[in-house]
Amino acid sequence: MANAQNEPLVRMVNISKSFGHVQALQGVNFTVGRQEVVGLLGDNGAGKSTLIKILTGLYPPDEGEIYFEGRKVRFTSPHDAREMGIETVYQDLALVPLMSIARNFFLGREPVKRIGPFRFLDQKTMNDVARHVLAEIGIRIRSPHEEVATLSGGERQSIAIGRAIHFGVKLLILDEPTSALSVKETRKVLNYIVEAKERGLSVIFITHNVYHVHPVADRFTILSHGRNLGDFHKGEVTPEEISELIVGALRPEEVRQAA
Amino acid sequence: MSVRASTWRSLARQLSRYPEIGALAGFLAVFIGFSLFAERFLTLASLSGIMTIAAELGIVAVGITFLMIAGEFDLSVGSVLGVGAMAFALLAKAGWPHSLAFLISIGLAAIIGLINGLLVIQTRIPSFIVTLGTMMFWRGVLLAVTGGFPVVYEGGSRLLSALGGRFAGGFHTSLFWFVLIVLIFQVVLTQTRYGNGVYATGGDPGAARALGVNVARTKIINFVLSAMLAALAGIIQFSRFKSVDPLRGQEWELQAIAAAVIGGTLLTGGYGSILGTALGVMMIGMVRSGLVLAGAPAYWYRAFIGVILIAAVIINVRIRGR
Repeated sequence: MANAQNEPLVRMVNISKSFGHVQALQGVNFTVGRQEVVGLLGDNGAGKSTLIKILTGLYPPDEGEIYFEGRKVRFTSPHDAREMGIETVYQDLALVPLMSIARNFFLGREPVKRIGPFRFLDQKTMNDVARHVLAEIGIRIRSPHEEVATLSGGERQSIAIGRAIHFGVKLLILDEPTSALSVKETRKVLNYIVEAKERGLSVIFITHNVYHVHPVADRFTILSHGRNLGDFHKGEVTPEEISELIVGALRPEEVRQAA
Repeated sequence: MSVRASTWRSLARQLSRYPEIGALAGFLAVFIGFSLFAERFLTLASLSGIMTIAAELGIVAVGITFLMIAGEFDLSVGSVLGVGAMAFALLAKAGWPHSLAFLISIGLAAIIGLINGLLVIQTRIPSFIVTLGTMMFWRGVLLAVTGGFPVVYEGGSRLLSALGGRFAGGFHTSLFWFVLIVLIFQVVLTQTRYGNGVYATGGDPGAARALGVNVARTKIINFVLSAMLAALAGIIQFSRFKSVDPLRGQEWELQAIAAAVIGGTLLTGGYGSILGTALGVMMIGMVRSGLVLAGAPAYWYRAFIGVILIAAVIINVRIRGR
């Protein structure tokens, strides 16, 4: 086997998972390259969420193996995955609305000052770093004290992405990040995704709408009824063809022949 | 828009960041009101009486607030207060050293809190229901164990003087413990990683979990702290009265929740302040003494607290809505 540097960042091999009688995933292979943005596409119930939950340690797979940076891994909790540099931003769970931007930015990773045996939040650092980092990647906020509840959906997604970049995440998983956003806000969030890629991150962008991810994706993986219908590089297929693949109006062989 | 108006607006924005700002305004209004209309309100005797009420209720309310911010209720604190005081009284009467009796009583409360927390986490039944059940259960145990009779204990010790004695000026030592507990919990809540996790746990448990906060552990710890503080308040009160009856602490859970809400804490969790709760219990204390001093029948006390509670929530909602 090639050395770790040539290995893709994530390689999921022959993953199967069933819940009772429902076969959610069946022999799925899925890879994410380094500094690659992958659009993970599929209709509701296609198995996108299950695949990601297996990758991030929320569910164990029934069968199959996961390699991260070339090493075989077995995550037993989202915490394990996070330790390895995999961060998931869920659509509604990105930030805590009643808390300030700075407190959200550092939630779970707060910097502390030691005074005797006690450790206190280093609030000055929290505020300064949150403001500075967000400004650097182009996210303007009025004040790091501002409650997240006052921000728009796009601003929240942006801050969650900025946080992932700052903390040196290797793989950023975005769950429908733009489905509730205006056109203008969507464009901004897509810009931050490109920014994340340029800084060395790999991104999995989960969506059922190819037009949301098409501008930024390098590759598309399409799931349907728990199987991987195929991986396509951006030049190989049109967004229209992908849409038809998702709903089953077109078969993968037909697309390949046309291409 | 004039410069002055925008300055006011930015000042208002700055102030609205503090959850206790509404409680502070209410506190000042009640304080000034009674100072003007109740004779002898501003005397040492009156103020020490207010702080005695506020301190004992406040120790319970701090625990309730800490738990409410983490998104859970504890209706059992009144019963746990009674259990803590009763356990201490029975052990002391049986001749146990007071320090050991104290530790056992607080430890018993910690176990009760742990049971509350585990029940809520494991069964996913709302804490309102779980602690309503444990409130009834422990009250029933108290009545059954004592046969409904109070327990009197006249013995003294250094521990009992430290908990329920008096300072110079007539203030009870409970004031010192109250202030200390308020400061510790306020600092933990606003200045530590644990406190940040408490806010996140109550604000959005899903997001908190996704960001690595141990939501279940945080809630269970706060249930334990809430019960321990209730028992501490019970023992402090016992050291003042030298007796405890099996109905001790009844309805305190509601007064403590009222104090927390007056202080700006949201019923839905994720937002609140220990300092606000401290202001809330002092308001309740002032109303209780002040109405009597102003010549109103003592029966009006509850009605007045009810009015303050609703007015405080309206003010707090207005401030947060900006």
